Amino acid sequence: MVASTVSPPRRRSGWRRRAEPYVHLAPALLAIGLTTVYPLVSALITSFRHWRLNETREPGEFVGLDQYQRAFTDGTFYNSAWVTLEFTVISVVLSVGLGLGIALILNNRTRLSAFTKALLILPFAVAPALKGFSWRFMLNPDTGVYDKMLDTVFPFFGDINWLGDPFWALMALALTEVWGWAPLIALMLLGGLGSISPEVREAAKLDGASPWQEFWRVTFPLLRPLLLVVVFLKAVFSVKIFDQVVTTTGGGPGRATESMNFFAYNQGFTFLDIGYASAVSWVIVLVLGVLAALYLIAMARQEAK
Amino acid sequence: MTDMAVKPEPAASVPAEPPPPRRKRRRSGWSAVGSTARVVATLAILFFVLFPIVWMALTAFKPARDAFSTSLVFTPSLENFSAVLGGASDLSGALVNSVLIGVATTVVAVPLALLAAYGFSRYRFPGHRSMLLAIVATQFIPGVAIALPFLTLFRSLGLIDTHLALVVVNLSIVVPYITWLLKGFVDGLPTEIEEAARIDGCGQVALLWRVITPLAAPGIFVSAVFSFLLAWNEFLFPTFLSRSDATTLPVALMTLVLPEGVAWGQMAAAGLLVMAPMLVMAFLVRKHFAEGMTMGAVK
Repeated sequence: MVASTVSPPRRRSGWRRRAEPYVHLAPALLAIGLTTVYPLVSALITSFRHWRLNETREPGEFVGLDQYQRAFTDGTFYNSAWVTLEFTVISVVLSVGLGLGIALILNNRTRLSAFTKALLILPFAVAPALKGFSWRFMLNPDTGVYDKMLDTVFPFFGDINWLGDPFWALMALALTEVWGWAPLIALMLLGGLGSISPEVREAAKLDGASPWQEFWRVTFPLLRPLLLVVVFLKAVFSVKIFDQVVTTTGGGPGRATESMNFFAYNQGFTFLDIGYASAVSWVIVLVLGVLAALYLIAMARQEAK
Repeated sequence: MTDMAVKPEPAASVPAEPPPPRRKRRRSGWSAVGSTARVVATLAILFFVLFPIVWMALTAFKPARDAFSTSLVFTPSLENFSAVLGGASDLSGALVNSVLIGVATTVVAVPLALLAAYGFSRYRFPGHRSMLLAIVATQFIPGVAIALPFLTLFRSLGLIDTHLALVVVNLSIVVPYITWLLKGFVDGLPTEIEEAARIDGCGQVALLWRVITPLAAPGIFVSAVFSFLLAWNEFLFPTFLSRSDATTLPVALMTLVLPEGVAWGQMAAAGLLVMAPMLVMAFLVRKHFAEGMTMGAVK
């Protein structure tokens, strides 16, 4: 018997054989379709209709693009878009920067590094909602343990009410996200660093490159495709931020930390304006669609390497 | 001290004695500084990663009067746990809901995903690549765009605040993730065993059940852990679709936010209940964690 290529599962004729793969996929695709495609289409249709749950049980008349127009003239929606952009930039920069730092520090075979690497996944396993509460507790200006530590090290931080100040509240929110993501990104980058052959780095060293030059001239260019994947992935999850907004700041102070997802939630769930909320959620879908395309391109390039 | 060259004098004066062969890498003074810096930096990383977890665990066992003290000296007490498990602010119902919904999501999702993973792994067919891409793309859908239509649908079906509603919606996240994860596992299985089974007259159903399932057992375990973890940590869906009867533990934490302030001791105890099982699970599947959470962004 020749151990050859995948043999076609038993000879069956015509359409039965052609249908076989789809039979395997059907249940999962049905489940995914019903729980993702159906709601997306339904939300798109609803976004063109007037529908306030406190007025009618059933969706009302079609209003065309009115609700999209409303979004683009709504200052509070603009605010949420701006907040989301700021949050995304801050959390991507901090998560990827810190993640890269962690990866470079732990990229060796000492026992301490191995031990640390094994623990890096832990923060990501903590429910995001709980991360929010945990950091809210630690940053409490009267009793929080991080607040006390910071006040001891940097006395000029003493007066800051972390979650009461618009800028710091956004930073705190980013911190809850960075705590989970930076270690995860470090793990991903450690995988990438591991695939850079040691000879290349040795060669750079022999040529007299300083560690700084070695990083920028050798390691960084080789890591760049992977870094791009990581940046887009983190950006997508940052744009979707919701859980910690609810549990850390509730969108406050004022509207300083109201993300787009949180805004859509308020419109739909609190104010029961399903039509408007659907339009807003489709704006988010489109934003994420662009990011998703960039991510998939970056991923295809990474795989092609 | 083994190989730290801090004493230049003897090193220079005894050239006759060859250094022990294992001591290949001589460290200069600078790299000794470097490695000390590295150890300090690594300890800082450990602190950053572990401190919030440790602090919550400590707070959970502090008696109420010490909840706000930052002192490490206290008499451990279980009063916070008894408060959230059957006591004044009982969350045990939510805990049961979280377990039920997590288990049900896993039990439904894993077989579907395994079947699809096998299909993607073993067949080439029109639409193969675009379907896989579509599966990866599902993770970019914002939760509200899924939750809102289901909110109105389940309202009209009378399914709001039921376990069923949450299990259905959880599938939108879980099935794509673990299909992708399991495909990786099935790709790694040798096809010879399947061929031998086929030659022995094994039908497709028996093949999947008797051959593939046992071979893919490690992958099935990992994906079961992931699907439970994703369902357990989910917050947006239960926020939209549950009120009280089906509410899950992460959402129930909100009930500890009282008008007079947050009951931090109880929050920490409930938080530990949310966190501890997931930490154990994540640790069990740590080799696959980055891969699993990012749907194959990195292999």
